[in-house]
Amino acid sequence: MPARVRGKLSLVVVTCCAVLATAGVAAASNGGFAPESPHSTNARRITSAYWLIFGLTAGVFVIVETVLVVFIWKYRSRGRDRTVEGAQVHGHTRLEVIWTVIPVGILAVIAAFVFYELPGIADAPAATDAIHVTVEAHQFYWQFDYPNGVRSINDLTVPVGRVVDLTVVSPDVVHSWWIPALGGKIQAIPGQTTHTWFRADAAGTYTGQCAELCGLYHAAMRARVIATTPQAYGTFIASGAAADLGRSEYVGACATCHGMHGEGGYGPNLQQSPLLAQPSGLEQRVRQGGIKMPPVGDTWTAGQMRALASYVRAHVYKGAASGG
Amino acid sequence: MAVRAEAPPVTWKRGRVASWLVTVDHKRIGIMYILTSIGFFALAGLLGVLMRAQLATPNEKFLTKNSYDEVMTMHGTTMIFLVVVPIIAGFANFLVPLMIGARDVAFPRLNALSYWLFLLGGIVLWGSWFATGGPAKAGWWSYPTLSEAQFSPGHGQDYWILSIHILTLSSLLGAINFIVTITNMRTRGMSWTRIPLFVWSILIFAVLLIVALPTLSAAVTMLLLDRQAGTHFFLPAQGGSIVLYQHMFWFFGHPEVYVMVLPAMGMVSEILPVFSRKPIFGYKAVAFSTVAIAFVSMLVWAHHMFTIGMPLGLDGFFMLSSMAVAVPTGVKIFNWLATTWRGNLQFDTPMLFVLAFIALFTIGGLSGLYLAAFPVDWQVNDSYFIVAHFHYVAFGGIVFALFGGLHYWWPKMFGRMLDERLGKTSFWLMFVGFNVTFLPQHMLGLLGMPRRVYTYSHGGLWEWYNLTSTIGSAITTLGVAVFIANVWQTHLLRKGVRAGNDPWLADTLEWYTTSPPPVYNFDTVPYVESARPLRDLRRKLAEET
Repeated sequence: MPARVRGKLSLVVVTCCAVLATAGVAAASNGGFAPESPHSTNARRITSAYWLIFGLTAGVFVIVETVLVVFIWKYRSRGRDRTVEGAQVHGHTRLEVIWTVIPVGILAVIAAFVFYELPGIADAPAATDAIHVTVEAHQFYWQFDYPNGVRSINDLTVPVGRVVDLTVVSPDVVHSWWIPALGGKIQAIPGQTTHTWFRADAAGTYTGQCAELCGLYHAAMRARVIATTPQAYGTFIASGAAADLGRSEYVGACATCHGMHGEGGYGPNLQQSPLLAQPSGLEQRVRQGGIKMPPVGDTWTAGQMRALASYVRAHVYKGAASGG
Repeated sequence: MAVRAEAPPVTWKRGRVASWLVTVDHKRIGIMYILTSIGFFALAGLLGVLMRAQLATPNEKFLTKNSYDEVMTMHGTTMIFLVVVPIIAGFANFLVPLMIGARDVAFPRLNALSYWLFLLGGIVLWGSWFATGGPAKAGWWSYPTLSEAQFSPGHGQDYWILSIHILTLSSLLGAINFIVTITNMRTRGMSWTRIPLFVWSILIFAVLLIVALPTLSAAVTMLLLDRQAGTHFFLPAQGGSIVLYQHMFWFFGHPEVYVMVLPAMGMVSEILPVFSRKPIFGYKAVAFSTVAIAFVSMLVWAHHMFTIGMPLGLDGFFMLSSMAVAVPTGVKIFNWLATTWRGNLQFDTPMLFVLAFIALFTIGGLSGLYLAAFPVDWQVNDSYFIVAHFHYVAFGGIVFALFGGLHYWWPKMFGRMLDERLGKTSFWLMFVGFNVTFLPQHMLGLLGMPRRVYTYSHGGLWEWYNLTSTIGSAITTLGVAVFIANVWQTHLLRKGVRAGNDPWLADTLEWYTTSPPPVYNFDTVPYVESARPLRDLRRKLAEET
């Protein structure tokens, strides 16, 4: 009996060591023990609430599991027969009160801290130079509308240090906007508008993806926030359109099904499709969809259509099928 | 010796198969419920393994897009509606009349109808693999507009709705039956403070089902009308509201969690004292905390919807109510710990599963606090952190307790003991496999992996955690396979030792009768003088000799 117990114990010890070793490696690369390193005040405050809860729950976890393991060890039968009864204790009112009240106290601490941090998370700081961007979530890409009418697909370019106020909408199904380093999620709900904000504190590219199941290519619905210098942002916004709008439209909206080079995939091969050479036919198909194709471009501007047409003409179209 | 007053039964009804088809005996119905649920558990578990295979490495092409969404939707829907809820109904069927000293449930024919509706619902759901366009693929909560006709063409979603309708009807009939049985058919002396804690949990389970299920039926009816009759309850372009569906679904969906957890906790409260050779610590506190959890669970549903941009006041309310659930849950955990204090702990397989329940459910409960604190939820919601959290509750918690229950009551149901060596092997494989599968998923969620994605392109830690998780799922599968081998060896190879009436020296009335019990359950039922009538009898016998 003791040998078997020892065998199991060593199994547990080995497992714990393996877990700790893995944890050590992961912690060294800051991987997965807290939300992604925050780069916006709201995300930072969420992370501090996370660490408070982590500390308290880790404490409760250690106490409960230690008591459990100690009791299992200490009160094991040691060969006593099943007929031998343990102490016939039926309860203890004062203990019941204690272990009701203490958790209430712990929860009150968490709730109080959440309410304390909340204003800095939920409300965008009052700033006169806030940039208002509309995020339109589509099956299966993100479209960003900047204040002066500039549009971009999947890549949101913003200046470092300025509040970016996002209005989130969806014309088709529920999506969820989520860039972990820049704060929490907000759903894009058809028929409603929702809001969130961030203020990137360092230049860099922050990635995220749709967090609410939105259909076939939910997994492909990725977004990047490119935080850059105010000068670079000024150049971007003054250009009137993202420099590579046509490419980003194709990559964001078309390539998911038709392939990066129009070679086909879930959707048909486009390389020889005559539609690509006819801007009006292309526009109609993109606006209204086809048999299985969703109307991916139903909210696109004429400028976007031109950008797409010139991009596919130059990079996807390989000429009409010969002999056809 | 049984008194058979009725006319001799028609002979065809006595056939080996036919007698099961026409039975209204609560024990046979219970066993059919349990075996059917185990079948669905195996199927839905395999779907889970398929998903893990697809996610093992980045850009994997094993099970893509539509197939992944179908498998994911069927895994979730099956586990909730065809495994956990019906297996609990099965245990309740088998055990409640025996535990309260009754001959059957109050409405035996209604009971048979409940089972056959459950089977029909399961067949409809699994038959939808052959529907036009494949089965439903909008996830187990099927949010519109994704589940509307425009985005989910084909009939999979309609079969899903039909099956939910049939299953809610089945559960409602069963719930009414349990409430009437428990309130009216307790044997002499069995007052409310003497009924077994599992019976308490089934009473509350039934009340919660009756309160919560009609809202689900209404929500899916409205979805069906949208899809088939041209209404637009949930179509925003015509003035419908998606948030309305979300509220209706979760008004059912969160109590549903406790519908599943409370009976699992009830099993723990039965098994733990028997193998600790002690009474449960704080019977009244445990029973009352069951009622308290059920009550508060009706007020927490919108914590599933923190990311829809509700007014902050509502977010705050639902945070506080969700945290309030933790208090009675903690009371249960502490009472269970105290139950083992100064015991004579017997580590038979049921006890191992129950101790693992306490260890794992604690993790699932604590990770729930991150979700209740709504700003943190904005970060972790809809990520793999959630997947890890609810599997610690639903698998590490509920399913481990159910396996404990299976090993504990198996001898009573079938008259033979399951093999201890295989039982323990199966336990350790499942325990290690479960943790290896789901612990890394917490980290994946914090790294930014959303749930319900069929693939990812990140290497590094994403890949390592995913691969580890997949390996864990294989170990877990092996554990379940050993359990099935155990059943095979016990019954088909007839290696199982015959169980006496009371192999575990237990406390409650089901152990007073033979294993398996006769059709009429008991010749006589002793007057119940405490919550542990069998221990009372053993002591009386010891005094007399």
